[in-house]
Amino acid sequence: MTTNVPVIDTHAHHAPEAGGTNYLNNRSGFWSWAGTLDHKRIGLMYLVGVSIAFLCGGLFALLVRLHLWEPKGMLFDNAQYNQIFTLHGAFMVFLFVIPAIPGSLGNMVLPLMLGAKDVALPRLNLLSFYLWLTGAVLATLAIVLGGFDTGWTFYTPYSLYTQQAVVTIGLAIFVLGFSSIFTGLNFIVTVHKLRAPGLTWFRMPLFVWALYATSLLQVLATPVLGITVLLVAFERLYHIGIFDPRLGGDPVLFEHFFWFYSHPAVYIMVLPAFGIISELVSVHSRKPLFGYKLIAFSSLAIAIISFLVWGHHMFTSGQSTYAMFAFSFLTFFVAIPTAIKEFSWVATIWKGSIALNSPMLYTLAFLIIFAIGGLTGVILGALNVDIHLHDTYFVVAHFHYVMMGSIALAFFAGLHHWWPKMFGVMYDEFLAKIACAIIFIGFNATFLPQFIMGSRGMPRRYATYVPDYAPYHAASTVGVIILTVGIGMMVFYLVASLFQGKKAMQNQWGGVTLDWLCPTPPPLENFDVPPKVVHEVYDYSTLDYQSMQTPVR
Amino acid sequence: MSAHDHSHGHDAHGHGGLQMGHHHISSSAMFLNVLIALLILTGITVGASRVDFGPANMLIAMAIASVKASLVIAFFMHVKWDTAINKIVFLSSFLFLSLLFIFTLSDHATRRLDGELTVRHTNVQYQWTQPKADPNHGKH
Amino acid sequence: MSHDGHHSVVIPAPGPEFVPHTVAHHFDTPVQEFQSAKLGFWLFLATEILLFGGLFAAYFYYHEVYPETFRLGGQQLDWKLGAINTTVLLLSSWTMAMGVRSAQTSQKQKTLMFCGLTVVGALAFMVIKFFEYKAKHEHGFVVFSELFAPYDQATGSLAWFKDYDGVMAGVPHGHLFFAIYLTMTAIHGLHVIIGAGLILWIMVGAAKGRFHNGYFLPVDLVGLYWHLVDLIWIFLFPLLYLVP
Repeated sequence: MTTNVPVIDTHAHHAPEAGGTNYLNNRSGFWSWAGTLDHKRIGLMYLVGVSIAFLCGGLFALLVRLHLWEPKGMLFDNAQYNQIFTLHGAFMVFLFVIPAIPGSLGNMVLPLMLGAKDVALPRLNLLSFYLWLTGAVLATLAIVLGGFDTGWTFYTPYSLYTQQAVVTIGLAIFVLGFSSIFTGLNFIVTVHKLRAPGLTWFRMPLFVWALYATSLLQVLATPVLGITVLLVAFERLYHIGIFDPRLGGDPVLFEHFFWFYSHPAVYIMVLPAFGIISELVSVHSRKPLFGYKLIAFSSLAIAIISFLVWGHHMFTSGQSTYAMFAFSFLTFFVAIPTAIKEFSWVATIWKGSIALNSPMLYTLAFLIIFAIGGLTGVILGALNVDIHLHDTYFVVAHFHYVMMGSIALAFFAGLHHWWPKMFGVMYDEFLAKIACAIIFIGFNATFLPQFIMGSRGMPRRYATYVPDYAPYHAASTVGVIILTVGIGMMVFYLVASLFQGKKAMQNQWGGVTLDWLCPTPPPLENFDVPPKVVHEVYDYSTLDYQSMQTPVR
Repeated sequence: MSAHDHSHGHDAHGHGGLQMGHHHISSSAMFLNVLIALLILTGITVGASRVDFGPANMLIAMAIASVKASLVIAFFMHVKWDTAINKIVFLSSFLFLSLLFIFTLSDHATRRLDGELTVRHTNVQYQWTQPKADPNHGKH
Repeated sequence: MSHDGHHSVVIPAPGPEFVPHTVAHHFDTPVQEFQSAKLGFWLFLATEILLFGGLFAAYFYYHEVYPETFRLGGQQLDWKLGAINTTVLLLSSWTMAMGVRSAQTSQKQKTLMFCGLTVVGALAFMVIKFFEYKAKHEHGFVVFSELFAPYDQATGSLAWFKDYDGVMAGVPHGHLFFAIYLTMTAIHGLHVIIGAGLILWIMVGAAKGRFHNGYFLPVDLVGLYWHLVDLIWIFLFPLLYLVP
């Protein structure tokens, strides 16, 4: 698409004096980071934050799996186990998966892809990060104040009765919700108002489309979660009775409110991942995307349909049978736009010039894992099947195939893809490929056995189990250890690359979207000359091969 | 893309708000008329609530409130003269809110029908027994 | 900020009593800045609608479940005070609209006056609300001093709902109406207070001459916020005070 001839010209002219400054080194000192309005620095702070949250959540997961090595449980008593799996869920969902891709990679790349100098509302962007930080501090405080053992879903009435720090974690989620809302709001405005001249809607990269659809969900669904956790807090503080059956309230109403947000939230999590994959299959196959408009519209379709299906989380909750029929029926419709995406990605790779470098390997791993995660979702959407599988490890395996296997892997893929852009250095490709293989094997070893034991009736969230399930649990625990090795390796070579990585190329992978046409790493306002877009998107005939062989200064 | 890029900074004196785009500046008389309409509608809504129309009372009260809200949105909030995207954004919030209302309330409304569904008991239900606390149960 | 010789756009002041406005560096034109902020604010207002929407959904849900509780509860509220407060808020919405108009037409004194009147309206609303809450406290519908008292599992009676006159005794879960009344009006009242604070902030800026026909964005946005507060009350009034 988007060549930007002036940019390349300007480079040549300004090379001597512009060579030294980019967004990383143009200013230094604590306040140059803590008070920055630069979307790239905010993105980087998000990246550090969500990575720490991911490693904490991962540690909790490791503890859960180690505990389940033995049928009677190995590490904790039942109450502690409840807290640990809740911490795993709450940290992963609210502090990692929801903010991860929009907050870090989205902030970093979206304005670059649009040819903008920054997001539309930079101060709101910084506020969003500090709200995230406040939420993280509150969540940690909740652990200190006695923890919480409700599961990440905070179902009433249990969450009203348990003697734990539910109000604190509720407040954390309220704050994190507004962090998410402000990111989404910012992206919508940026996409509408700050596109470079010539960058029409259908010349936007698909990562932008995906983030746009995500943002709509963040803005429209998250407020309902906000009021829901607020009502739970009120309920605990002064017993209003809205969700408390002792006082005439209806816990099913809580579930309606909660899932009105939390089902769309599933797509808040996965749509950005779809966006990354759309980008990467094209760049690393050097081929325009098959079905560009279909993928773009399917993001919007998923966003809208996701508001109509939340009741499929409540098939065993006492919801009316007719509502369950409707929700189950509507659920199948989500599969259509999702399958359109999966087929389009595969069709894009077909007969492409495939470069099997590490971002592409993560992408291929995503395509396989997401096919399993998505299809098992259709199985669970069927009302009568779900009655059997509800709250079993089958559900656990399904959403980990989507959340961990698809979203986290897409996040890793995007991280590897834009790493040379962000830092101007390359990690060790050989180690990256090995780590990707280990993660893929470890992930499947962890969660495939969970499908089997789930379909045989192993319920989720139990601290102990009958010995029949021991082989599956053992396989799963071995898997998570392999997974940990892979992720540890990834963290190692990524961090190591910052200190001794080789210089990356100006355009490491041969992308033709605007994010690859600005200098690497980008300077403060991204482009030396405001770009103008004259080509269609993913038009690889415009690729400047020289930028792929020119190392960054 | 926002396409009205007109020149700015030096030629716009005396044109109210021209530099921030072409803004509609409403007349004071119009604002006063809207206020009077809102106050009259408040009177009507109080009056209507004094009369018993049965279940229609709720509909009447909500209809009047919606008219009042529309007046505030269209005139006080200038939505009538705002850009298409701003209209869509604000009005779509009501659309998505209605989804919450419709599904949540229809769940409750249809719950009473559940008892009317005839449950066909199959033999399986009678033959099934609680598994004993035997660690070997379920071994095939 | 930028190193390529790009200078920020400045909107000149229309007169000596005003100050010019500098467009933020990442925008190319004042129009772009204005429309971006405005779209962002409309999105924020949409989130406010959905946030309150949850409360309205809870209202309608329990109105369906316990119609008698809501009918009787509504009769315990003073519809006259509610109607007066509705009038106060509608008047303040009008003064706010006139305040925005005055800013758009560079009438500094009028901007200050109308914004001041709006703040007065907000205060009047809160004072009336205070007396309303006081009456509820005295009848034992919402005993504020007992609001955070722990719930007694054994007796199952609520500390904050005493119902001294026993008027709600005949209906199931009489406290539910007052719980929803309190939650909705308290969150709405919080918005009134925040709104009044924002308008005061606008008045400080207006006194310094920051707002004129070339730049009135903050006045416009705060105005929208204030109208939203009014909008929510337009629905709260019939639902709580005139419950059919």
